[in-house]
Amino acid sequence: MKKLNELTIHEVLDGFKRGEFSSVQVTEACLNRISNEDKKIKALITLNSENALAEAKKADDEIEKTGAVIFEKKPLLGIPYLCKDNFSVKGLLTTAGSNVLKNYISPFESTVTGKLKKAGAVLLGKTNMDAFAHGSTTETSDFYPTRNPWDTHRVPGGSSGGSAAAVASNMCIFSIGSETGGSIRGPASWCGVTGLKPSYGRVSRYGVVAMASSTDSPGPITKNVKDAAYVLNVIAGKDPKDATSSPLEIENYSPTKNFSLKGFKIGKPKSYFNINLETGVKEKVEEAIKILKEMGAEIIDMDLLDPKYSIAVYTILQRSEVSSNLARLDGIRYGNDRTQFGFEAKKRIMLGTYTLSSGYYDAYYSKAQRVRTLIKSDFEDAFKKIDLIVAPSMPCVAPELGQSEKSSMYGELMDLLSEPSSVAGLPGISIPCGFIENMPVGLQFIGKFFDEKTLIEVSNLFQEGTDFHKDFPSL
Amino acid sequence: MSDKYISKEEVKKIADLANLDVSGEVDKLSTLLSDTIGYIQTLKELDTSKVGETFQVTGLTSVFQDDSDSDSLTKDEALSNASDNYKGLFSTKPVFKR
Repeated sequence: MKKLNELTIHEVLDGFKRGEFSSVQVTEACLNRISNEDKKIKALITLNSENALAEAKKADDEIEKTGAVIFEKKPLLGIPYLCKDNFSVKGLLTTAGSNVLKNYISPFESTVTGKLKKAGAVLLGKTNMDAFAHGSTTETSDFYPTRNPWDTHRVPGGSSGGSAAAVASNMCIFSIGSETGGSIRGPASWCGVTGLKPSYGRVSRYGVVAMASSTDSPGPITKNVKDAAYVLNVIAGKDPKDATSSPLEIENYSPTKNFSLKGFKIGKPKSYFNINLETGVKEKVEEAIKILKEMGAEIIDMDLLDPKYSIAVYTILQRSEVSSNLARLDGIRYGNDRTQFGFEAKKRIMLGTYTLSSGYYDAYYSKAQRVRTLIKSDFEDAFKKIDLIVAPSMPCVAPELGQSEKSSMYGELMDLLSEPSSVAGLPGISIPCGFIENMPVGLQFIGKFFDEKTLIEVSNLFQEGTDFHKDFPSL
Repeated sequence: MSDKYISKEEVKKIADLANLDVSGEVDKLSTLLSDTIGYIQTLKELDTSKVGETFQVTGLTSVFQDDSDSDSLTKDEALSNASDNYKGLFSTKPVFKR
């Protein structure tokens, strides 16, 4: 039988409704798991145990007083979760994994954590990340690297590495990450969990330490697709505090029972499979595509722009926006001064300063924004003929620690299969689809702008027919 | 590489513009930043003479907030993380010399 910390959101809710266990018990199980295993994994920066237990106790009282009907109003009541440390939580440390913000206690609440709080979720703590989210391995955290729970000599991916590693090692029931270009899908893939990157503008960025403001997208990391959809239901929607959040009405994202892949067209971009993919990754993804075919989907070979252009676009835009966003960190109003920036942050600020400076703006920044137009219309044209795109999430399984220092473009090259959809603002999801020597492989779906529902339906159907998402590492 | 995109002098200039201390890292930054600039030259392969820029993907323009009371930080909250304050104001280093 599963331990309480190993349950999914839906399993915990069922247990609460049947009175089988309490939120305090689930919260304690997660806190025990953290206390036993996080010395090894290093997924957390801040532990919030006292507050978490108090919140859990309050949740139990509410459930007892009101009964199961309370979950209609508070859909995550009593569910313990962890949150990436770039989300501002009032009264708690919000470091973004950086020395600059090492002692920064947020005086306000991000919209995402505020919504989760309102929905009754219990915050266990904040997770490690590449400093300011600048990386794909969590090694550039100014504090310590997080380890991959499947093999602690390997990286968990990044920048939401702490959040993905925590879910994979059952330290929480779900977690929150954020993605600018691969930072949810990447670590979800390498840690063998489900990571949903919603469309840009679907989830409010208010209170998230800004990285690249034109692509930053908060999203859930969970043990299955059904849970990811359930969390998205809570965090999605227009926010007056984020002018870029979309006023489009949100749907009920939870998967429907009678969804079928019959007559469904899934595009398979040649340029995403012709890159230097690890042999095993290609095999596992091809096997997954076969399963989709057997489920009734029509797989269509298609052309998309070579992802190398998206990497170049992403690199210019991300660095440019970083140089602007991090300019506010002057050590006067909050945080330490600029001498505290790590090397990776400095490198990115410098490149962005260069690409935005007069004389180079047209050649780099403006050029990148024009190519972004091509990328966006490339996807729009593709989606006239297909319903969804399938691809690997990452070109390889999680590498050992220390690789990222070897190339100035390491993160971008690892994220090359998610950066095109990121610069176009499209939603994407990574779900586990197999293992190579005990290391998980991620399958990616990319959807039309604001069509999270289709991603969720298809990936949920895949999980209903497979067991890859049920495997967890033994620590 | 002799024809680096970003010379050591340029590194120092950019660091100055970005208010960063890069002493001891100039050589390394010149190499790494030049590598990256070298990589992104690939964009030249694409003709963009007929397309405009996509600064944002949502298409939303002129988004305004309701002109009504909204939550705001108190003065104490706003100052709570400041390195220094003077009579309830942020204290900064002098910008101008007397």
